[in-house]
Amino acid sequence: MFEILSNIVAALLTLFIFSFLYKDNPFYRFAEHLLVGVTMGYAIPLVYTNAFIPFVYQPIFLEGQYWLIIPSILGILYIFRFTKNLSWLSRYPIAFGMGIVGMGVPMSMHSSVLVQMRNAMRPIDNINTLIIFLGTVTILLYFYFSKPHKGLYGKFTNIGIWFMMVGFGASFGYTVMARISLLIGRIQFLLGDFLGLIK
Amino acid sequence: MKRQIPLIIVIGLGFIFVAHTFIPSRTSQDFYDWWVSWSKAISPFAVVLGILSLFMVHGTKIQRKAPNWQYSVVTLLAVFVTAFVGFVWGTDEGTPFLWLFKNVQMPMSATMFSLLAFYIASAAYKAFRAKSPQATVLLVAAFIVMLGQVPLGAAISRWIPEASQWILNVPNLAAKRGIATGVGLGATATSLKILLGIERTYLGSD
Amino acid sequence: MTFWEKIQNIDRRWIYMIVALCIIVPLLIPFNSKTYVTEPTVNLYKKIDSFSDKEDKAILLSFSHDASTMAELFPMEVSILRHCFERNIKVFLICFSPPSAPLMAYALNVAKEDYPDLESGVDYCNFGYKPYGLFLPIVLGMGDDVGEAVDTDADGRKVKNLEIMKGIRNYDDLNLIIDFAASAAVFSWITYARVRFGANVAAGVTAVMAADNYPYLQSGQLVGMLAGLKGAAEYEKLVDVFAAYEDEQYSDGRNFSQEVIKNTWVPIMKKTISYTSGETNVQTDVELPYKFKQARIGMNAQSIAHIMIIVFIIIGNIGYFLSRKNKNEV
Repeated sequence: MFEILSNIVAALLTLFIFSFLYKDNPFYRFAEHLLVGVTMGYAIPLVYTNAFIPFVYQPIFLEGQYWLIIPSILGILYIFRFTKNLSWLSRYPIAFGMGIVGMGVPMSMHSSVLVQMRNAMRPIDNINTLIIFLGTVTILLYFYFSKPHKGLYGKFTNIGIWFMMVGFGASFGYTVMARISLLIGRIQFLLGDFLGLIK
Repeated sequence: MKRQIPLIIVIGLGFIFVAHTFIPSRTSQDFYDWWVSWSKAISPFAVVLGILSLFMVHGTKIQRKAPNWQYSVVTLLAVFVTAFVGFVWGTDEGTPFLWLFKNVQMPMSATMFSLLAFYIASAAYKAFRAKSPQATVLLVAAFIVMLGQVPLGAAISRWIPEASQWILNVPNLAAKRGIATGVGLGATATSLKILLGIERTYLGSD
Repeated sequence: MTFWEKIQNIDRRWIYMIVALCIIVPLLIPFNSKTYVTEPTVNLYKKIDSFSDKEDKAILLSFSHDASTMAELFPMEVSILRHCFERNIKVFLICFSPPSAPLMAYALNVAKEDYPDLESGVDYCNFGYKPYGLFLPIVLGMGDDVGEAVDTDADGRKVKNLEIMKGIRNYDDLNLIIDFAASAAVFSWITYARVRFGANVAAGVTAVMAADNYPYLQSGQLVGMLAGLKGAAEYEKLVDVFAAYEDEQYSDGRNFSQEVIKNTWVPIMKKTISYTSGETNVQTDVELPYKFKQARIGMNAQSIAHIMIIVFIIIGNIGYFLSRKNKNEV
């Protein structure tokens, strides 16, 4: 019985949101605002139990690591973001977290540039590797704006556009699939879990 | 000074971490562990920022009785009730908190995104025009990939899923590699600019 | 106004109606369809399968999505867990964002219902939700010692004391990480766990992200990928055909073979099988639980919907070119 009731609530809220397809209406607005509230409300106890208690409360008050009071104060400085005269104080916690970018530079350079470049320079042993090489080089040149895209060079970079169009087409095809899948998921819920019509 | 000191912190920490990545040592590891314990203690307070901002936006709306202010009451009530339920009965399986998540938050956020299926269909009908040879190539590639993904495509011809895989593995790969390398270089450059104190927008304006 | 002009200006709500029908009808009238299995899925399947029955190998599933993309990602999570449970593969679960935590527990509960003998902390372990501030410390820490880095699991137990940790120390043993996301979250694993420690990384992504990942598949930075509902359907099929396959000859499932996959037809609908019990010949209907074929049933509707989109684009273009031609003539 309880499960049926729960499903009715979920199904009603689902229909409230779908009602926007007909036109904007109070049911949709109610659901939209409820969603924002519940999502925020959901995060508060979780952050409290999983971050505040183990990283602030326990070490400071139970284990006596009083020096952690300093970063806690640093954290509280976030709140000054909303004040007019003291908003500069909120820069301190941001700056402290931003420092890790130093670790990201060499590692992301390695994973997203160097390894990709190495693989772009594989031996050309068949037509496919040739096409991949040609596509990569022409696209990189297309994004190089310091030399005007004219004459032979312009024709060469133009090939890059065709490759990108095929790439965007592939992404578009996949995007259509993704969007439809999400709707299928909701209809499977309405027809299956709620109405019991799919076995 | 309001800007300089935070900038010095970023640059100082940044270079220490660059060094730690290339030459890990006991000292730099200890420093990293210290940074982690401080970051952990700072982290829970970031959520306060989100809560405050939500309360300021909706609180002002209610106070000024702005058009549709009643919905802001719904949002704030929902924040209170969900958080209250989580604090009183806990956040584990079988609690009212998780019931709210499963039967209110989950179905609504899933449905919100599923609306995109309708919009993309409508856009397909009204906006995707083969106005130029390049747009035509884009649409043809999209057709083949769309058909290649579904069982019906394979049923029409074995050639369709294979052509779709070829598009993804060869021209698409080349295109995405070119773009990804550019993005990767751009992201590295931005990180370097932050590290060297050239990029400062993350600190906000004065 | 000509017919084509009228059709160009049709109210969008009629289009929405057609979209809804194209999905509702094939779901209400299910039919069997064949799933074409692609290389990125096969590679991931083979990698996971190579850990079968190994005490000193494990996989880590990282959940980086919320409920909005569950339709695509949930079926793949369930079928990968089913594969691990069928093949006696140690599996860990972790997430770094609050909304992923209940989805992770849900996928685990749904998959393990059919395996009552499995024990938490022995065959699988849910590390639970860890605040995002711990992402780097945990990812880098697991390169030295998994138990130390993760500390406690979702039930609050010390991870390093659990039986499942026998033979599992760092990324040499926890050798495969699969990240489920609607974003580029998997790249954090590639950047930190792979570059620094050489861990194998794979992705379960929404279809929107899939095309962008091909360069990383070719470079080996991703060992495999499941792309959207289609990827989930492929994986469901592979688990059915190999890991969960049972007959007299293969009571424990069978090994992957390209030949078998080509020649095997897996009906997702009810099928009648007959066998002899003692001296009587018994006929019985068997049907796969819905949760293990959810993606394949969804793919039927996907077929119709893709045709619909293609037809929409073609009609839209015919209308556009004809009305433009008429205008030019006037």
